[in-house]
Amino acid sequence: MKRRFVIAAIAVAGLVSFEALGLRPSEVVPTRAELGTLSSFLLGAFSPALTYEAAYVGADAPPLLLKVADAARRTVVFAAAAMSLAIVGGVVLGFLASTAWWRHDLRSRGPIARIAFPLIYVGTRTLIALMRSVHELLWALIFLVAIGLTDIGAVVAIALPYAGTLAKVFSELIDEAADDAATALGGAGALPAQVFAFGLVPRALPDMGAYTLYRFECALRSSAVVGFFGPETLGKFIRLSWDENHYAEVWTYLYALLVLIVIVEWWSGALRSRFAA
Amino acid sequence: MRTSAEEIAALKRSRPRNRFVSVSLVVFTLLAVYAWFGGDLHLAEFDLDRRLANAARFGEAIRPYPIQELGVWDWATAVAWMGDLLAGDGWQALQRTLAISIAAIVLAAVIGAIAAPLGARNIVRRDGLINSPRRPSRRVRIAETAWLTAIRGLLIFLRAIPEYIWAFLLIKIFGFTSWPAVLALALHNAGILGKLGSETIEDIEPARAEALRALGATRVHTLIGAVTPEVLPRFLLYFFYRWETCVREATVLGMLGVMSLGSLIRDARAANFYDEMIFYVLLGSLLVLAGDLLSAGVRASMRKAA
Repeated sequence: MKRRFVIAAIAVAGLVSFEALGLRPSEVVPTRAELGTLSSFLLGAFSPALTYEAAYVGADAPPLLLKVADAARRTVVFAAAAMSLAIVGGVVLGFLASTAWWRHDLRSRGPIARIAFPLIYVGTRTLIALMRSVHELLWALIFLVAIGLTDIGAVVAIALPYAGTLAKVFSELIDEAADDAATALGGAGALPAQVFAFGLVPRALPDMGAYTLYRFECALRSSAVVGFFGPETLGKFIRLSWDENHYAEVWTYLYALLVLIVIVEWWSGALRSRFAA
Repeated sequence: MRTSAEEIAALKRSRPRNRFVSVSLVVFTLLAVYAWFGGDLHLAEFDLDRRLANAARFGEAIRPYPIQELGVWDWATAVAWMGDLLAGDGWQALQRTLAISIAAIVLAAVIGAIAAPLGARNIVRRDGLINSPRRPSRRVRIAETAWLTAIRGLLIFLRAIPEYIWAFLLIKIFGFTSWPAVLALALHNAGILGKLGSETIEDIEPARAEALRALGATRVHTLIGAVTPEVLPRFLLYFFYRWETCVREATVLGMLGVMSLGSLIRDARAANFYDEMIFYVLLGSLLVLAGDLLSAGVRASMRKAA
């Protein structure tokens, strides 16, 4: 497709969308009252709270910074737990959804394999699509009304779409990886699973690792947001402080999230440069 | 002569290894173990029987309401029920969800495209791509670094805050129009597109820009004539990738009160109409899949044209 055509189509779609939503630029210019909220919120950026803003704080409340650190820690816990499930699911489903380990010699296989392999492929693709097309918060909502949102429910809610996304990307990376080693192994009589594990995965591993870390970064954000539904991650306290107009506290929590994201971005950048070298 | 076992051992010893990668793997594994067994996740209080009973009740409740009345599954009834929901609010909410995602990603692309050169080292530095190759003074160097740090810091902050939290904050300021949802998606994605754009610019081959500069082109002309054409294909790919996530998020942001599929999901849940809730969830999931297909198609055809 011509690039010029794509850009023109995007511009038209954008204008139509703005029009359909009735978005007027004048509405983003804050009114006097809105300006007050906006400016006191933005000013908080320069003086995040180090102690509670409320006049009365329960005697057994921990110091604010400790509470923030604890919420950040729990955000990491939920994200790491979800990612550990998602990686296992992503590798298994990614294997079933990739074609590189069976497509090249499908014709030489028995009749069962010739039907079963494409069927497994299509079935897995459909399952992956369903898993990742439902947002983690909607999974959380479904668990909430179906069985009550426990910590496990929140973890699984994040893990489901993440496993689907990892599986999709893993299978694409594996199918696009150089197949020299895989062909050699297959020619020497290796089983499909062996071809996959020793011929294909090592070739795709650096990209898979980098992508997994990127998803871990996303999982931290999802874990923070899941706090809106109950778990005591950063999102929960952002909401509570915001609803009480404690803007400086909100900034402290936002900065805590920022620190987590910066650390993981640095980590993933460092890993990628090591792999590239 | 060495035996093959010795040779294999020697090969194994000399295999490429990287301490940082191994340490990262260990750290992540420890983190996962700590997450599961550190005592933060309440694993014990899981009353399985009660949960299963709840789940069974939920399984009943998500069947379309007229089907529950009828007692048996009947396609005509189910389809008529879906048609009613679509004709009611569903279709309009679907359109609005799509419109929010498109308006947001276009806005994000505009902000990201402006921020990308402002955060790219080879654009900002005086001895970079579009400037003279003479070494700048120390003071200029420090100013450049400060500028780059500020732009990059702003971009990382924009993307560190999830769309849902941006929307939650913006609703209090702008009320329940579509603006908070559009702005929330736009801010987060501007942070991502701006960063990816900067990185793409930093990776380009300098030849074309240098040639234009040597011919006496101004900085702005070099930026438009040499940098933009090299970066644009990449930027468009990122644009479509991010649009896919915008469609997903646009549904969910409705749960905060802005009109989209999410607000219907929230209302259905509040009214305990679980059949409708699941219907709207699936409608959103269809929209996401359609968006993914469209985006993948456009990306593939752009790659072919390139």
